[in-house]
Amino acid sequence: MISYLVFAGTIAGFYALLSLGLVTAWGQGGLVNLGLVGFVGLGAYTSALLSGAGFPIWIDWIAAAVVSAAVGVALCFVVRNLRGDYLAIVTLGFAEILRLAETNEKWLTKGSDGISGIVAPLKSDLGESFPFFYLIMTWTLVGIVAFLLGCLLRSPFGRALRAVRDDEQIAAVAGKSVLRLKLQAFGIGAALSGLAGALYAHFTSYIAPDVFIVQLTIYIFLAVTVGGQTRLAGAVVGSIALVALLEASRFIAAAIPGLDAVQIASLREFAIALTLILVMQLRPEGAFRMTNERSGLSASRAASESCYGKRAIVDDAT
Amino acid sequence: MSNLARRTFLQAGLGVGGLMLSSSLSRSWAQQGDPIKIGLIIPLTGATSQFGATMAQAAKVAETEINAAGGVRGRPIQIVVEDDQSNPEAAVRAAHKLIDVDKVVAIGGSYASAVTSAIAPLCWDGKTVLLTSSGADSITKLPHDGYIFRTSPTVTLQGTSVGKYAVELGAKKMFFLGPQTPFAQSYIDIISGIFKAAGGTGSGLVYEDKKSSYRSEVDQALKESPDVIVLGGYVPDTSVVLKDLYRAGYSGKKIGFSFGINDALTKAVPAEVSEGAYSLVPSAAENSEAYKRLISKMKRPSLDSYSCQVYDHVVLTSLALARATSGQANGTAVRDNLRAISEGEGKRLDDAAEALKAVVVGGQVNYDGPSGPLEFADNGDVKGVFFRYEQIEGGKLVVRKVG
Amino acid sequence: MLTDLLQYLVNGLIVGALIALPALGLTLIFSVLGFVNFSVAAQLTAGGYAGWLANTTLKLSLVPVLIIAFLVAGALGVVTDRIALAPIRRKPSARTPLMVAVVSIALNMALENACRFSFGSGLNSFDMPIARDMKVGGIRIGLQQLHNLEIAIGLAVLLALFFSLTKLGKAMRAVADNVDLARLKGIEPVRLANLATFIGMGLAGVGGALLAIDTSVDPSTGSRLILLIFAGSVVGGLTSLPGAVAGALLMGVIGELGLLVLPPAYQSLTAFVAILITLLARPSGIFSGASGVRK
Repeated sequence: MISYLVFAGTIAGFYALLSLGLVTAWGQGGLVNLGLVGFVGLGAYTSALLSGAGFPIWIDWIAAAVVSAAVGVALCFVVRNLRGDYLAIVTLGFAEILRLAETNEKWLTKGSDGISGIVAPLKSDLGESFPFFYLIMTWTLVGIVAFLLGCLLRSPFGRALRAVRDDEQIAAVAGKSVLRLKLQAFGIGAALSGLAGALYAHFTSYIAPDVFIVQLTIYIFLAVTVGGQTRLAGAVVGSIALVALLEASRFIAAAIPGLDAVQIASLREFAIALTLILVMQLRPEGAFRMTNERSGLSASRAASESCYGKRAIVDDAT
Repeated sequence: MSNLARRTFLQAGLGVGGLMLSSSLSRSWAQQGDPIKIGLIIPLTGATSQFGATMAQAAKVAETEINAAGGVRGRPIQIVVEDDQSNPEAAVRAAHKLIDVDKVVAIGGSYASAVTSAIAPLCWDGKTVLLTSSGADSITKLPHDGYIFRTSPTVTLQGTSVGKYAVELGAKKMFFLGPQTPFAQSYIDIISGIFKAAGGTGSGLVYEDKKSSYRSEVDQALKESPDVIVLGGYVPDTSVVLKDLYRAGYSGKKIGFSFGINDALTKAVPAEVSEGAYSLVPSAAENSEAYKRLISKMKRPSLDSYSCQVYDHVVLTSLALARATSGQANGTAVRDNLRAISEGEGKRLDDAAEALKAVVVGGQVNYDGPSGPLEFADNGDVKGVFFRYEQIEGGKLVVRKVG
Repeated sequence: MLTDLLQYLVNGLIVGALIALPALGLTLIFSVLGFVNFSVAAQLTAGGYAGWLANTTLKLSLVPVLIIAFLVAGALGVVTDRIALAPIRRKPSARTPLMVAVVSIALNMALENACRFSFGSGLNSFDMPIARDMKVGGIRIGLQQLHNLEIAIGLAVLLALFFSLTKLGKAMRAVADNVDLARLKGIEPVRLANLATFIGMGLAGVGGALLAIDTSVDPSTGSRLILLIFAGSVVGGLTSLPGAVAGALLMGVIGELGLLVLPPAYQSLTAFVAILITLLARPSGIFSGASGVRK
């Protein structure tokens, strides 16, 4: 049981890194990256291939973050003029293309066979205590990243970023470099996704294109939404809650008598979805609500949101 | 409102904690009569979930038979099913739960190759046997220390058999249509090679799965005017390809694999569309009663090969543990005794209960299941599997020959 | 070569016709409610199942099957929207429409698994004969599939007429433009939102039934196609009804024509590149200025 909890905790750490990236790009920067999982895959493959070529693991991990960030910045630059909904479809498609490339470019990625035997750091030295080591290492990284992001988002950079999120035009008039802020926020999100992918690859020792499907993106969006989409603490809490929900639902669904295996499995996914909907209804702002986070630009408009919710939508399209 | 939400969160948390606590307590009370747990990781949701339901049913039949025959050394066996969600990442989480929490002695099922490759390291690290129905050649090349047994013939062997059968049916021009898989290109090469050796020709096309129409792919295939089309896909894409072949008026032969052309497919397309399609199904010898017995117990006219394999995964694990002289019920005991009850000079038995009773009294047994004779090479690959060549006739699969 | 080109064009139109109706539904809902409702995928699947049940158990023919698919998906769409999404839309803190869109993904997941719970994971075929294609001047044409195209275009025209000629339709456009103005005029926004959801999801349901007749229905039928549907809707401008149909057809055609230059295993690449180029050239979609419901 302990080793299972340690494992689940490590997975929650990966999810937390992804969620922190999403809070930065989406919650703070307003950039919808529905291609999150593509950058996870990019990082995982970069790290696995470099490690296979004999590079030390710390270089692989840095490279994973750098490559994902670079590709993310490039993509964000190309689509810099698109509004939210369109950014969503472009990033979603981009992740699908990366998955296709991973599947088809067998000379590089071994195709859908996947890459096995990705080495883990210190695994042979640590033996039994390796899972604990990886858990602590992952969460230390989460802590460092959260701390640094916290500093960054409290700085003038953070305020400028939120200004861009709330109203690009006003931010631009106020002299902010809108494009640069967007690229930085998107790049940070992509880098963290890549890093999480690399950590996952070396932890489980196996990756394949099928690992990086849109389901994971959905999970992370749900984790961030549940936690509070603008808050770093929300990202961490949301990730832990998500993994707890994913894993606990196994035990609960299996305890219901009179159902066949397919019904139990579908009930489990149904319950996960339903819980998230319920949580969103009870606490639409997430576990951690947005506090003192507004850039000040949209306060008046947000206050006048109608009960119909339409106004929020009109706001977004401006 | 926020108080209510917090309370809900807390209650959910306590519930989870309580559940985990109670399961760990019950384990510490584990006594001789407690069940031996066998894990199953099967696709119940997601893209590859067409066989999940029958796989679970087949495993349940095996569980009932073994327990009715007295269980393993006085202990009943218990199947613990987890869904792989057609996703290796979810499968890894499921495998950790089975190995760490349920302490299963073996994991069976394991259908998609990526899922098997993902959970394999956990199994050999956790000294848990992995019985898989995946075909990708790469799986048994992993450093698995004997913990992997594969009951499905490798995709290479299946491709070769399909190629030979197509030649035997009198075809001269082969065209392969299949989605991008690790084996798609090697199928084109292998089967084309067989056709060239027999004086024919062969070519192929690898398409993208998940499409709702393959008209243009079918057009490209028909340009080569083939007299046999090899369908290398799974049920969802194969059903669409078959419909588009029918619409295009293709009248040549169609032949596919058991993962594409099977029971599930016959329900997915009208009878006139699937009429005449051949399927290659790994199976037991022709005179084996095991398959007939299993389908009659499941009250089905026929059953896919993968569900038969899952049935055998459960039986093999139980027999191996029943034979284990150490008396221990763990993965290593399964690994070390599995060959002793499935191959060799012992008495050939194809009934699980009968085999179990013979093993318990110390007899030498060679168990042959509904999925095949179950002999394993050193690397864990199954050997000497027979193939059932089936053909769809009026929406039903009919056996044409066994060889 | 020219024959190939024409053949692929026809094939592309046929593929596009399959996603045109769901794209139309998605666009309609976005136009009036202002968020991308991803549960359109599940309603497509639900329409497929409703049609399949109507056809195989009640032995109904095409037209009643489509009507049932429309009603079931539409009603289910409204009920689930009211239960799951409306409370979140109503909260003042539901700051972005994307939040509602994310919850609609969860709703989609719940509905897909409700289908799986009820019907299992298998693929189900309609009990309808499949017609062989016709050859016209060397080009292979599927008559059944052309029907899909006709139905899609016909429904799009009907909707366009509804929005430009009827009082209710004009009212819906008013809501889309300005909630407060609509309320001043005595139009109840909630009822119009329900109507838009009903029609939008109903269209997805009809699309699902047609798709299921063409292929088959299983719990993931809708989810497999949602990316393509969303893409068609986006290329069409997300708020233009004729745009949605044209966008869907364009996605189909580009995808099939891509087979001429790319290996088939990379087919989605062409669709993606098409979206990208379209959006870069016209950042608000091709048909943003066309008639229909506008913001």
